[in-house]
Amino acid sequence: MLEFFRSSAVRVALAFVFVTTVATTAVFGLVYLQIREANGARNRLILEDEAAKSVNQSIDELRYAFKVRMTHDLRRLDYAALFGADRKILFGNIDVLPAIPLDGKSHYVTASRVPGGDNRLEPAIFVARARPDGTILLLGRSMLESLAFRRIVVSALATGLAPMLLLALAIGAFFARRATQRLTTIHDTIALIMKGDTHLRLPVRPRNDTIDKISRDVNLMLDEIMRLLVQIKGVSDNIAHDLRSPLAVVHAQLERGLESPDDDELRAVARQALTHIDKAMLTISALLRLADVEYGPKSSKFRSIDLSAICTDLFEFYEPLATSKSIHMSLETQSPVQILGDGDLMREAVSNLIGNAIKFTPENGTVSVSVTRENGRPIVRVRDNGIGVEPGERDKIFQRFYRTVSGHRVPGSGLGLSIASAIANLHDFDLRFDDNDPGAVFEMAGRRK
Amino acid sequence: MKKATSTGVKPILLVEDEKELANEIKIELERLGYLVRMASIAEAADAARVGDPAMMIMDRMVFGEDSLNTLEALRKEGVKVPVLVISALSSIDERVRGLKAGGDDYLAKPFAMMEFVARVEALMRRLDDVRTTKLRVGDLEMDLIEQTVHRGDTKIDLLPREFKLLEYFLRHPGQVITRAMLLEEVWQYHFSLETNVVDVHISNLRKKIDARGVPSLIVNIRGAGFMLSANA
Repeated sequence: MLEFFRSSAVRVALAFVFVTTVATTAVFGLVYLQIREANGARNRLILEDEAAKSVNQSIDELRYAFKVRMTHDLRRLDYAALFGADRKILFGNIDVLPAIPLDGKSHYVTASRVPGGDNRLEPAIFVARARPDGTILLLGRSMLESLAFRRIVVSALATGLAPMLLLALAIGAFFARRATQRLTTIHDTIALIMKGDTHLRLPVRPRNDTIDKISRDVNLMLDEIMRLLVQIKGVSDNIAHDLRSPLAVVHAQLERGLESPDDDELRAVARQALTHIDKAMLTISALLRLADVEYGPKSSKFRSIDLSAICTDLFEFYEPLATSKSIHMSLETQSPVQILGDGDLMREAVSNLIGNAIKFTPENGTVSVSVTRENGRPIVRVRDNGIGVEPGERDKIFQRFYRTVSGHRVPGSGLGLSIASAIANLHDFDLRFDDNDPGAVFEMAGRRK
Repeated sequence: MKKATSTGVKPILLVEDEKELANEIKIELERLGYLVRMASIAEAADAARVGDPAMMIMDRMVFGEDSLNTLEALRKEGVKVPVLVISALSSIDERVRGLKAGGDDYLAKPFAMMEFVARVEALMRRLDDVRTTKLRVGDLEMDLIEQTVHRGDTKIDLLPREFKLLEYFLRHPGQVITRAMLLEEVWQYHFSLETNVVDVHISNLRKKIDARGVPSLIVNIRGAGFMLSANA
């Protein structure tokens, strides 16, 4: 039950009931006030006007006028009387002068005796006025009708409000219950999915309300997560495979070494084993590096860096290596090309590209590096005329561990381009391959904002 | 100079909760003639305050605690003992954090023992920040003010980067220097390379500084890196 009241749907329903009550009460209240005001004000003006007219009439004329007045007053709502200067009644239907000033203005008296002898008390308006001959004119009107009307309004409110409240509560509870039931279903489904039933999806009805829309979004999100999970599984299979091979070799080598009676043999085998373990560690380090770039928090160290300076630096670093392979290396930079980024990471990405270009270009080839800004986009291109990439392999080279058929014997972790691509991505750059016919062009270009 | 302890040899303090790795490190360093003592982070900090250890090797995370906090506190107290931080956290950001906290060097796991030992030796033999203006090994002399290098009477012209490379060797004579150390210290590249660029740079430097007919001043150390032979 507590659970029920805690659900937001129920709270909305209760708020709805509250607002409805307040609104209805306000409407009734306004009607009540309007009636009271309209009735009272109109009667007051009439009485004051009559009193003013009657001041100068003779006593006989007054007596006649009163008589007519009372004959017409079937509901006995009118008061009219004339009092002497000694405040004793001369004639009229009310025998006591109420305690009001003799100023010709209307006054509200809450309890006056009803004309006709019975001792009921009613609210009324009175006007009293002194006449030139010293007598006092009193006119009045009972407010009983108006009071009754107001009572009706109040009792209507009282009798109407309770059923309306109940109705609102019932409707609110109905909707709340329905919403709660749907939310409970969703909650239970999510719990099941978290427990491992990853094929389950949230229910979506064709009605397409807000909850359906959110459910649909959550389902799409689940699909995407599942797709990524499958992808990650593929990657970890690759990792396992890439690490198992060198480990299997190491295992075989060490076994052979231990069984050999020759100490030198064991030594030689141990050395080979070390090389393979080094290779495995290189792979692990590269994987950790990749994870750092891909899933680490976006570097807080992003600042203005100059791509030209970075490439010039790397050009000078790699040129002796190129020269040692008789590869001609050239650099083309314009003025500084400033971007917002992490200098260390950018250096690593470009270093991978240049290192690859030299690695996959035979002797007497060329490698050129250029940094430009084209239509406002910063672009780094590393071009070589080496072995290039076969058309069928071009979309695979950025995948983890992918080694091209032709480049398989060149040493490396198979992760260099993945890391470069991840770094480019982190900087809102795209890294793509182009055919240089012969050779390759790797272009790293800032995305159009 | 700080006063040596009663034994005369200051130990290397090792703060590492991975038992097997700690053991390997201890065996390897002891094989090289160092005295190694395992310590908890608190013990290490107390020892460092009284100037006991020759250096400290700290794992970044020991029993779930970030040892950089302790290191930072020690540095604030003015403790100057050399510290090598080893860590499974490999990103550049973490490295920068390690150095900022007061680490003198930062090595990410997994590392090769050769690499590790080279780092330890470099820190153990670090010169007490003497403002030398001239570095010399054999008849090779470098003038840091004039920015010139002479081999005997012959002046050797070096490119700026070659000058820095040679300077690093001259500051660490007789020590194994790994490719990664050169990349970090000479080029400020904090990533691993799959090519042998550094070897090419060394070979170019050798061509310039070596005299005909005598063995090279910079020798290759198999599986580890290079060494500027001190007794040339």
